[in-house]
Amino acid sequence: MQLFRNFTLLSTGLTYILIFIGGMVRVAGAGMGCPDWPKCFGRWIPPTSLDQLPDHIDPAKFNLVLAWIEYGNRLFGALVGLSIAITLYLGLKYCSHLPRIKWPLIVAFCLTLFEGWLGSVLVKTVLNPFTITLHLFFALIIVMLLVFVAQEVYYINNTESEIHSKYPVGMKSLFTIMAIILLAEVVLGTEIRGGLEMIRKENPMIDSQFLIDMLGPFKYAHSILGILITILSVINWFVLVKISIKPSSLMVQTSTLVIILILFQIVSGEVLVFLKFMPIIQLFHLWIASWILGLISVQYVAWQRSMITND
Amino acid sequence: MIRIFSYGLVIILALGLGANWIIEKALDSHEIPLIKPVPEFSFVNHKGKSFSNDNFQNKITVLDFMFTSCTGPCPLMTLNMSKLYEAFSNEREVQFVSITVDPTTDDQKKLDEYSDLIGVHDDRWHFLWSDLDSIKGLKRDGFMLFSDNLPQGHAIKFVLIDQNGNIRKYFDGTDDSSQEILKKDIVQLLKDFRS
Repeated sequence: MQLFRNFTLLSTGLTYILIFIGGMVRVAGAGMGCPDWPKCFGRWIPPTSLDQLPDHIDPAKFNLVLAWIEYGNRLFGALVGLSIAITLYLGLKYCSHLPRIKWPLIVAFCLTLFEGWLGSVLVKTVLNPFTITLHLFFALIIVMLLVFVAQEVYYINNTESEIHSKYPVGMKSLFTIMAIILLAEVVLGTEIRGGLEMIRKENPMIDSQFLIDMLGPFKYAHSILGILITILSVINWFVLVKISIKPSSLMVQTSTLVIILILFQIVSGEVLVFLKFMPIIQLFHLWIASWILGLISVQYVAWQRSMITND
Repeated sequence: MIRIFSYGLVIILALGLGANWIIEKALDSHEIPLIKPVPEFSFVNHKGKSFSNDNFQNKITVLDFMFTSCTGPCPLMTLNMSKLYEAFSNEREVQFVSITVDPTTDDQKKLDEYSDLIGVHDDRWHFLWSDLDSIKGLKRDGFMLFSDNLPQGHAIKFVLIDQNGNIRKYFDGTDDSSQEILKKDIVQLLKDFRS
């Protein structure tokens, strides 16, 4: 059982790192580093020189650095897949009688397989922007499911958690709305990124400032949703920290952390436009968004826990 | 709690520095090799004007070998070349050259009609012809592309030539992802040329 608990945490942590690495592949422009899938230039270990390339692949595509970045992402993806598979195995072994643990794990595992397949579609379609967004979207769903499971498993051994706390009944709607808007915001953000690339495809010499101006309406929608999320997170903090009776330290800390992270997102989002889409900031802007989603999941599970224990 | 927080901060900082290093490596990794200069030649373009290796000076050129009645890979190559022609329509320093490998059928008039047909509307895309032996020689010795069985057996490569008339890189003219790399390389050569 302790092993299962450790594996739920390990899988969650590794998936977060994988989202980071995936974002890095994207901003480094390494998505086509390996033009075939699952192998890289027909090899299980990417080639180190041009004469190792197979005849049917255009040598112009070979770039050692990009090949290894993309292949590293695939290897790490395989590692995460393995970790989630072991977690599922242990989950079915110890907790098959608990549907709240069993089903999210099964869904997370199936989505992980689907993600691997989407990776192959991405290579085949030369990084179709819609598929990129889908690839990220399901990664976020997987990480939320894993957070959910990890916390549920934690509560099995920690029966006292949330027992003294009482939160308003209607919080479920607030968490759901926040999660949906956050997901929409991430999708919109990646579409902005995809849109930039599509325009660049047609007009390779386009000026960055002109690009930003062209994306005006998208940026506007992204900002409006951002303001909405900020307001909701303040309401969320107020309700959980001020209105609730004896909120757990977990609730207080996560509520505060959500607000801090959203402030970071506002600043980094503006810096992005200002610094013409600096890659490392793009990467963190996306990664922090996945954290906020995870924190909302944590709050949802904790809230549900208090509802059950207070019944 | 503070300990967990500082550990987290250290890990994030390490990830950030590592990622930054990798991203910079990736962005610096687009090298365009220098293969060799295009040898001397003098052909005629579809407007009847002479076109020689001197015309590569101060231009970034994408060049291919084709013939107008070809039904194999040429339509796709021409389509890809047209996309490049449109994508760089505002850049006077980027030009396109298609050399026919079937000069008995593709005379100047035929090439001129063909250029109209595919929507060439300015002097950035040249269709060249000459006698078959000169074309074969240039293709084999100048561009190191096979030319035994012309016109059918022509190469599907796009050749990128820089502003000094040097061959820089070859690309598969029928492959989508090769086209994306070619575009990036044109942009890089153009930026280097302008600066």
